Amino acid sequence: MTSSVYIHIPFCSHICTYCAFTKFYYDKNMTSDYLNSLEKEIKTRYQGEIIKTLYIGGGTPSSLDILELERLFQIIKIFKLDKDYEFTIEVNPENLTLEKIKLFKDNKVNRISMGLEATNEKFLNYLGRHHDFNLVKEKIALLKKYGFNNINVDLIYALKDETLDDVKLDLENILSLNVSHISTYSLMIEDNTILKIKGENEINEDLDYLMYELISNTLKSHGYVHYEVSNFAKVGFESKHNLVYWNNEEYYGFGLSAASFIGNTRITNTNNLNKYKLGNYFREIEELSYKDILSYALILGFRKIKGINKKEFFNRYQVELDSLYNIKELIKDKKLIDKDGNIFVSYDKIYVENNILINFVGE
Amino acid sequence: MKQEKIRNFSIIAHIDHGKSTLADRILEITNAVSKRESKEQMLDSMDIERERGITIKLNTVRLNYNYKGEDYTLNLIDTPGHVDFSYEVSRSLAASDGAILVVDATQGIEAQTIANMYLALDNNLTIIPVINKIDLPSADVPLVKQELIDTFGFQEDEIILVSAKTGVGIEELMEALILRVPAPKGNPELPLKALIFDSLYDSYRGVLTLARVVDGELKVHDKIEFMETGSTYEVTELFVYNPNFQKVDAIASGEVGYIAASVKNISDVKVGDTITNSKNPCLEPLPGYKPMQQVVFTGLYPTETNKYNDLRDALEKLALNDASLTFEPETSEALGFGFRCGFLGLLHMDVIEERLEREFNLNLIATSPSVVYEVLKTDGEIVKIDSPQKLPDITKIKTISEPYILTNIFTPSEYIGSLMELCQNKRGIYKTLEYITPERAILHYELPLSEIVYDFFDKLKSISKGYASFDYQVIGYKPSNLVKMDILVNGVLVDALSTIVHKDFAYNKGKVVVNNLKAVIPRQLFVVPIQAAIGSKVIARADIKAMRKDVLAKCYGGDVSRKKKLLEKQKEGKKRMKQIGNVEIPQEAFLTVLSDEEIND
Repeated sequence: MTSSVYIHIPFCSHICTYCAFTKFYYDKNMTSDYLNSLEKEIKTRYQGEIIKTLYIGGGTPSSLDILELERLFQIIKIFKLDKDYEFTIEVNPENLTLEKIKLFKDNKVNRISMGLEATNEKFLNYLGRHHDFNLVKEKIALLKKYGFNNINVDLIYALKDETLDDVKLDLENILSLNVSHISTYSLMIEDNTILKIKGENEINEDLDYLMYELISNTLKSHGYVHYEVSNFAKVGFESKHNLVYWNNEEYYGFGLSAASFIGNTRITNTNNLNKYKLGNYFREIEELSYKDILSYALILGFRKIKGINKKEFFNRYQVELDSLYNIKELIKDKKLIDKDGNIFVSYDKIYVENNILINFVGE
Repeated sequence: MKQEKIRNFSIIAHIDHGKSTLADRILEITNAVSKRESKEQMLDSMDIERERGITIKLNTVRLNYNYKGEDYTLNLIDTPGHVDFSYEVSRSLAASDGAILVVDATQGIEAQTIANMYLALDNNLTIIPVINKIDLPSADVPLVKQELIDTFGFQEDEIILVSAKTGVGIEELMEALILRVPAPKGNPELPLKALIFDSLYDSYRGVLTLARVVDGELKVHDKIEFMETGSTYEVTELFVYNPNFQKVDAIASGEVGYIAASVKNISDVKVGDTITNSKNPCLEPLPGYKPMQQVVFTGLYPTETNKYNDLRDALEKLALNDASLTFEPETSEALGFGFRCGFLGLLHMDVIEERLEREFNLNLIATSPSVVYEVLKTDGEIVKIDSPQKLPDITKIKTISEPYILTNIFTPSEYIGSLMELCQNKRGIYKTLEYITPERAILHYELPLSEIVYDFFDKLKSISKGYASFDYQVIGYKPSNLVKMDILVNGVLVDALSTIVHKDFAYNKGKVVVNNLKAVIPRQLFVVPIQAAIGSKVIARADIKAMRKDVLAKCYGGDVSRKKKLLEKQKEGKKRMKQIGNVEIPQEAFLTVLSDEEIND
C-alpha cells in the first residue's frame, strides 16, 4: 500500500555550485505550465490511497511566488491525508516570506526543511548560496512564532580549506537555533555541477572522517539521536518521510525526475520537461525480482543506525535476515552487530559502510 | 614460373625508418594494390601493429613485376624492426635470398640497423642499401651515405636513394632487386624439402603453414611429413597471398606459399621444421636456423581464476605463429593457477600481454618480469631459475650468477654524459665509446640484464629526448651478490611480489617498493603494514592507513536506484582486484616492485 508522496519542484532562483539535481532557473511561464503538467500526472497516477507522509522538495519549492504556491496547494488537496500525517516543504531562507509561512500553515504543512548548508560567509559563497546566518536565525524565529516546531536544517561539511574549528563554529550556530532535526552531508563533487566543472576536489578522507566524528559527538551530546548515516533528530522528530525510504516502503514520486516505488516496481521520471508535458513521465522502470527487493531492503535498512529488526523483516519477507548473503560472516567479523533483535552496522563502521553494503548487490 | 624468374627478399630497418611505407610502394608499383585502395601500412594486419606503427608479425606477399618484357615473381617477406623481434627477422631472412636495408636519411644508421644487418649477413643474403625519406628537408644524404660506406663497406654506387612517401627511386630499387638478388638455387628434381617459417590459425582450415620450397615441388593431395615432429598430413589446399589469399595447385622450388592440410593439432607445426614428401622423403632436413633464447620471464594469471583454460588456449594460439613465446603452468599461492611465460624482450612481453587482453578478452595479472639466474648450490649442482619463487633455500646457495648484456647505445654526443650516469646507476661496467661521426657515438656498457628489464628503455629515451637508440646482445653470466627480497602484506608473504635484487641496492629498493605499494593498494578497513624482507630480516616498512570514508552521505531523495547502481559499480571495481589474505591488491601492484622511483601519492 502506497502511503507516501514526493513532489519535485525543479525551479531555483540561484543555482548552487554543488547541486546535481534536476533544476531550472525560475521562470514564470515555465512554472505555470509545469504546475499544470504536475496536476495531470498526479490525477493520472494517484489511486486515492490514504497518505501519511508528503514531501515537497526541489529545486527550491519556496522560489515559487505566492500565487504559484497557492496553485500548488490546490493541486495537493487531492491527497487524502491520514490524521497523523507529516507534510514537509523545503525552503531557502532568502525567499521564505511571512506570507508564504502563513500559506504553509493554512495548507497543513507541519514540517519545514531549510537549506542552511553553512554558517560562515566564506563557505556559503563557495557553495553558491545567497543568504547569511542572520537571515536563517530570523526566519527560524518567524517559523517558530507561527507554530512550526518540526524544523530541519541541512549542513554541508568537508569543504575546501574547511578546518575542524570551522565545523565546530557551524555546530555552535546550528545548536543555537534549537531545531528538532539536523541533516549533515559531506560534500560530494558530482558530475554536472559547477564545482566539478571548475575542477574542485573533495577533501582528504582522514579530515572528512574527523569532521563526521565531531558532528556526531557534538550533536549526540546535545540531545540529538543519530538515527541514520547523515541524520540527527530529537526524540520523536525523526523524518517519517525519509524513514519510508530506509524502510523499503512504497512511495509515489511526482514531477520531473522524481522516483517512485510502487508494488514491485521502481520508477524514475523523465528529466526532460517537454516529454513530461506530453505525458511521457517515465524514464526508467525497474521491475524488481524478489532478490532485488531483498537487496534494496538491506542496502537501505542498514543506513539506519538501529539497523533492521529481524522479526519485522521475517514477517514482511518470509525469510530470516541472517540467512541472506554473507550476513552471518559479517556478524562474525564484527562488521554487523546482532543485538536485541536487530542487526545493524557496527557504529565504528558506519562511515565505511559501502564496503559492507556492496556485499548485498550484484551477483 | 621458372626459378630464375623468382626473387625472394626481405626489407630490414631500424624502427620508424619507413620499412612498411616502402613495402606499400612496392605493392603499388607491382599493382598488387591500387593507390586508391592502399591504406597506410598494408602489410601490418594486426590492430596493435597499426596503432603502435610497428610490425610484429611477418607477412609474405607474392608480387608480379615485368622487367624489360620479362615477367618476374617477387616474394616480399616482411619483417619486424624491433630488436625483440629479431627472431622473426631471422625467420624471414632464412626464407629470403636478398634484403633491402633501409636507412632513414634524417637519422642515419641506428642500433637495429646494425643488428639486422648482421643477421642478414649470417644468412648470406645479398644486401641492397637504400636511403629513405630523401624528400624531407632535414635529410642529410651525403652524411648517411658516408655512414653506410664506413660502417658496412658498401660502394657509393650501390646505394639507392628513395622516398617511399613520394615514390622517387622505387623503379630503380625494383631493377636492383631483379638484377642483384640471386634467383633461388634449389633443385626441382630432388625430393620435396621446404622450410616452415610461419604459421597461422584459421578456424575453418586449421593451421595454415607458411613455407619456402627449397627443393622439389609441393602439390595439392601430396602426403607430407613434418620431419621434426614426424606427423604426416595430406595437403588439402595451397595458397599464395597477393595480398589476398589465392588458391594454387602447386608451389614449385624457390617459391613461397601457404599450406592447408587439416592440421588441428597446433603443436605439430614447428616453425623452423622441414616439410618433405612422406612417400619420397629427402635424406636430410634443412639446417633450420638459430633458435632465440627467451630472456625475460613473467607470470601471467587470469584475474578470475575460472579463466585459466581460456588463457591456456589463447597462449597456444599465439605460440603457433610466435615460436619465441614459451609458457609452462605455474602456481602462485597468491594468484592461483597461471603460466610462466618467456619472452625475447620487454616489448615482446608487452605486445603479447596486450594481444591476450584484446584479442582473447582476458583480464590478466602480470607479475614482475624476471631474468634467468644461474644458481650454484653448495652441493655443486647448477640450477637455472626463471622466477624468484624457485630460488633454493639461502643456506644451499653458494653463488648466484645473472645474465649480462653488452649494449650498443647510439646517441648524439651531447647525451653521452647523462647516459653513462644512467648505466652506472644500473650497475653498468663501462667498456668503450666509439664515435661514428663527431656528433654521434656508440656507447658500450656491460649491464645486468635484470637492470634493463623495467624502465631502462624509457629512461634512455627521456634522457636523450628520444634521439638515442639501443640494442644489446646477451654475453653470458657473471656472479653477483644477489638476494631474494620478499614482500609481506599484512604479515602475509605474497610470493608473486618477491624479486631478486643486488644486496647493495636492497635497502633503497625495499624502501621504494613498500612506498609504491602503499600508493597503489587502496585503503582497507584496517591498517595494512607492507614490509620488505630479506630472509627473516625486515628491511623496510610502510603502513597503509585504515579506510576512513566509504559512504554515500547524500540520499538523493527517493532515488535509491541510483544508490544501488553506485554500489554495483563499486563492486565491479573490486572484482578486478586480487584478494590476498584479507587485502585487496590491484593489478598494477605486481609491476610496481620493479620501479626504482617512488610514485607520487
